[in-house]
Amino acid sequence: MKAFLLIVRLTVRQLLGGKRIWALGALAALPAVVMFFGGRDRTAEDAFEFFHEAPLATMFLVVLPIIPLILGAAALGDERRQHTLSFIALRPLPRWNIVVAKLTGAWVASFAVTGSGSLLLAVALGTSGGGWGPTLPVVLGAAISTLAYAALFIVLGYLFERAVIFGLAYIFLWEAVFTSSAPGLAPASLGRIGLSAYAALVDGAPRLLADPLGSLAPGAGGAILKTAFLAALVVAGLSRLFVKRDLV
Amino acid sequence: MTTSPAFAANPTVAVDSVSKWFGQKVAVSDVSCSFGPGITGILGPNGAGKTTLLRMLSGLLVPSEGSIAIEGDSPRADTDVYRRFGLVPEESAVYGFLTARAFVEAAAVLSGMSDPRAAAERAIETVNLSASAEREIGEFSKGMRQRIKVAAALVHDPDILVLDEPLNGTDPVQRAQLIDTFRRLGAEGRTLIVSSHVLAEVERLADRVLAMVDGKLAAAGSVEAIRAAMSDIPFKVRVEVDDPRRLGAALMAADYVRSVTIEDGRVHLESLDLSALGHDLPRLTVDLGIRLTAVEPEDESLESVFRYLVRRR
Repeated sequence: MKAFLLIVRLTVRQLLGGKRIWALGALAALPAVVMFFGGRDRTAEDAFEFFHEAPLATMFLVVLPIIPLILGAAALGDERRQHTLSFIALRPLPRWNIVVAKLTGAWVASFAVTGSGSLLLAVALGTSGGGWGPTLPVVLGAAISTLAYAALFIVLGYLFERAVIFGLAYIFLWEAVFTSSAPGLAPASLGRIGLSAYAALVDGAPRLLADPLGSLAPGAGGAILKTAFLAALVVAGLSRLFVKRDLV
Repeated sequence: MTTSPAFAANPTVAVDSVSKWFGQKVAVSDVSCSFGPGITGILGPNGAGKTTLLRMLSGLLVPSEGSIAIEGDSPRADTDVYRRFGLVPEESAVYGFLTARAFVEAAAVLSGMSDPRAAAERAIETVNLSASAEREIGEFSKGMRQRIKVAAALVHDPDILVLDEPLNGTDPVQRAQLIDTFRRLGAEGRTLIVSSHVLAEVERLADRVLAMVDGKLAAAGSVEAIRAAMSDIPFKVRVEVDDPRRLGAALMAADYVRSVTIEDGRVHLESLDLSALGHDLPRLTVDLGIRLTAVEPEDESLESVFRYLVRRR
């Protein structure tokens, strides 16, 4: 357990230590800024409806994918490129243990940013009079989507040097174009998994989010299960890659 | 059981017909050897395949062909191997944001030590970095980074230690200290595998040497045996004088000169005995009344020496 926590700590420090954290922090605050300025001089109902348009879409379809992309891809990718992976990998630890710790670290680091951003967004909604009800659901939805994206992008970062480019192509083609234009594909969108958890916990949200959710039924339990399954799949796959592929 | 000098008497690490290629590039080609207690040097020019071989020994790279066993176990399949194995990689491979103490302590925790703090203390003391233990590694010189990597590799008291160019970037005092440390560890019966492209370093360190060139094992044996194999290598020397033809003709008569050519107004010669050439050349030019302006080696590099060894095989 000590080794596991140490790897998590090292990963979080490594990911949040550089200058990029300021840019990511600014990106995470963007939906709150949109809500703050767009939600002024509105009635409570109007502010609540506006919250479910641009601010929430920016959070779930832009902020939540991009931050775990940058940090998740770096979690193992930077270790490989900076040759520090040997420090962690050449130890008497099960491979899956190392992978789970790295994924946890990537998730914690990403969620430190996305969670703060989603909390700020909820505060912007609350201060504009739209109510405080969505606060916990939006943070929970962000946590779920952040984990799903971190799991996907940690694999990309391990496999490809240009993981960020591939990840951006995924976000802007798959998440923003394909799954948005074909409602039947919505369940295959990682961003919408978190959104479905949010929608299940906030009265009135399913109606307002009918378009982005497409054929995806709101449900927090299902969203958590799907994400946990994806994370387990990633852990199993990466653990196998650790044995079968070169580590540097 | 083989008696080839590439194989140790009591092997702890066995390399069996190992090759590694990256796309079309063959980095290591059909290498078989073994390592036992004491210090074995892996010598070779840059690009010879030393680092690739050591990375395969460590389990960082998967051999394209062949197998590697550490005390009978594969480092890829059984991570328990790392309880008795340590690696000092060639690259920086440190977390610059950690203090030296935190870095070595982290290595102890990851290796499952029961008292990581005490283990880190001992390892840092071994490499004489106690005074800088609270400094962040990011502020360290290259030599200090090398030493802290050695401490991190030693912290769990491994039986087998692989060191890839561990003396790179160290100053003469640090180098002497590290060499003493490695010798002591080797004398304790541990298996130390040390790579270097500097013959003098390996000579000071190793009991046994494996020479690699172009991904192949070029020679193996004691340092003395490797030196003997290298002693009949003709050295190429370029001499600048104001009358190259006369000097060239005179040098042709010397028994230690293998060949002489005149190109670009200079004498290019191959000699088997550099000390005799160094002794005779000034006298010869004075006797002939020729003005000597420069004497330069043409291929003194280790690479040329090793290519010669490979051609001899």
